[in-house]
Amino acid sequence: MNQAEIRKLIPALRVAMTPKKRRFSNPRGPEGRLFKMRTTVNELIKNERMEVNYNRADEARGYAERLISEAIRYGDCHRPTMELADFWLPEKQNVHKLFKVLVPRFKDSEISYTRVHKAPHVYPSTLFDKVVLELRGNPFPPLEKLTTKRNWIHNILLEEAHREYLEKKYKQEGEEEEEVQ
Amino acid sequence: MALQTSGRRMLLGLVSQSCHHVRGKHHKQALTNAGVQKKRMNLFSKEAERQAALVTDVEKIEVQYQGQPEDCTLIMNKNISTPYNCAQHITQMIMDRSVLAEVDGQVWDMHRPLEDNCSLRFLHFKQSDPYYANKAFWRSASVMLGAVLESTFKDNIYVELCSYPSPNVRTGSFVYDVDLKIPTWTPTKEELRTLSGEMVKLAMAGHRFQRLEVDASLALKMFEDNHYKTLQIPHIAAQSSTGNTVVLYQIGNFLEISRGPMIANTNFLGKVSVMAVHPIQTNQGQLFRIQGVALPKGIMLNHFTYGILEKRAAELNAGRIPVINKDNLQPTKAAEALST
Repeated sequence: MNQAEIRKLIPALRVAMTPKKRRFSNPRGPEGRLFKMRTTVNELIKNERMEVNYNRADEARGYAERLISEAIRYGDCHRPTMELADFWLPEKQNVHKLFKVLVPRFKDSEISYTRVHKAPHVYPSTLFDKVVLELRGNPFPPLEKLTTKRNWIHNILLEEAHREYLEKKYKQEGEEEEEVQ
Repeated sequence: MALQTSGRRMLLGLVSQSCHHVRGKHHKQALTNAGVQKKRMNLFSKEAERQAALVTDVEKIEVQYQGQPEDCTLIMNKNISTPYNCAQHITQMIMDRSVLAEVDGQVWDMHRPLEDNCSLRFLHFKQSDPYYANKAFWRSASVMLGAVLESTFKDNIYVELCSYPSPNVRTGSFVYDVDLKIPTWTPTKEELRTLSGEMVKLAMAGHRFQRLEVDASLALKMFEDNHYKTLQIPHIAAQSSTGNTVVLYQIGNFLEISRGPMIANTNFLGKVSVMAVHPIQTNQGQLFRIQGVALPKGIMLNHFTYGILEKRAAELNAGRIPVINKDNLQPTKAAEALST
C-alpha cells in the first residue's frame, strides 16, 4: 500500500500541525515527553480551558484532536479506541466524559474541536509565548469580543468612497463600450 | 477679508480686495461678528443664570446605570446633575470616551441635566453600531465649522450663518451654508488650511457643548442680527414639543440653534480638514457651501486613506439646499407675533 492510500485511512486533523519536530527535552526520553503531553490533554478534557506555553499547547492540541475524532468515529465499544483513551486520560472519570459528553457535543461538528488564543505576558514572566487552549462549546464566557468595526465612522466613509469609485468606473467603462460599438 | 492675526493677513487677501463694494445686503454697517457674538453671549448667560436660579430645592433622583465596569445605582440631583456628572462617579475611562448618553432609551446630551428617575447608558464611537454617536459627531462638526466661520474673518466681512442640511455621514462631508456677502470666492489652499487650523484650535480649546432651551422670543432677540436665523426660529419653535421654545447650544463664544444631540466636548474632534467652498443658488440669492471632513479623536487613519476621504469631501455635497421661506420675509412681524 503506498503512501497516498494510507492517508485515506486516517481522517485528517482539523488543525494545522507544524511539520518541524519539537524537542521537548526530558530525562525519561520520548516516553517522558508523551507523559507531559498526556498531562496537558488530560487537563484539557477535564477543565476545558487552560493557559499554557505555546509549544506545549500546539503539540498537545494535535493529540487531543486525534483522541476526540477517534472517539467519535469508533464509539466506546471499540477496544483500540478504549486503549487509546485509557492511555491519554489517566483520570478515569475523563474517559466517561470523553464518550458521554464530548462525543455528543462534537459529533456533527464540521470544524476543529479545540481553539487556541494568544495570551498576554504578565510581568514578571518567562519569555515563552503564552496561549489559552480550550475546547469549543465550553461553558465559560467567550474570550474574544464579537464586535464589528464596520459601522465605525471612518469605515462608513471609506465604504461610501469605494462605492462611488466603482460607480464612476462602471459608468466610464459603459461609455467606452458604447463608443466602440 | 482676512484673519485676525497679522501672519495670516495675506491668506485671505484676494477676497478682501473684492469684497468692499458689495457688502451689506441685510445688515447695518456697524455690525461686527465679535460684537454680535458678545451681545448674544450676554443674553445667553443671563438666561442660563435665570434658569439655574429656578431650581431652588435639591431633590434626589435614582439613576440606574447599565454598563461597564458594573451596573449600579447612583443618587443624583434632579434638574442639576448631568450624565457627565454620573460618569464622574463611575470611572475616568467612561468620562473620557462617552459622547452621548442614553436616558430611558432616549439619546441625551452629556451636559443636559437629568429630569427624573431614569436608566442610563453611555454611547461612544467604538461600539459595534455607533449610529447616534456618528450622527451627533457630524452635526457637531457642522456647528464647529459655523463657529470657526463666524470668528475667523476680519470685521470687514459680516458673516451670516444660514443653516446646514441634516447630518449624513454617508455624503462624505459635513457642511455649513453661509452668507459672506461677496459674489465669488475661490479659496486658496492656504485659506482652507487656515480654516482647518482654526477648527483644530477650537477642538483643542475643549469647550463643552452646553445645551439650553429658551423661549422663541428670546431666541429672536439673540439672533436679531442674523437674517436667516430670524426667519427659521418661528418654524423651529412651532415644531418643538412645547410649541414655543428653541434649543440652543453654546461652545465658547458661539451660539447655535439646533435640536441636537451634540457630542459632549469639542475635543472629540480629531483629524479635520476644511476642503471646499462651493457657491450655491437659493431662492433668495447666492450662499457659500463650506465643506469638510473629520474623524473623531482616537480613530487613526493613514494619510493616503484619509486623502481619499478628503478628495471626496471636496466634491459638492448633495445635501438639501436651504429654502429661505418667502412667507416670513418680514422677520420683525414674525417676532412681534411670537412675543405677544
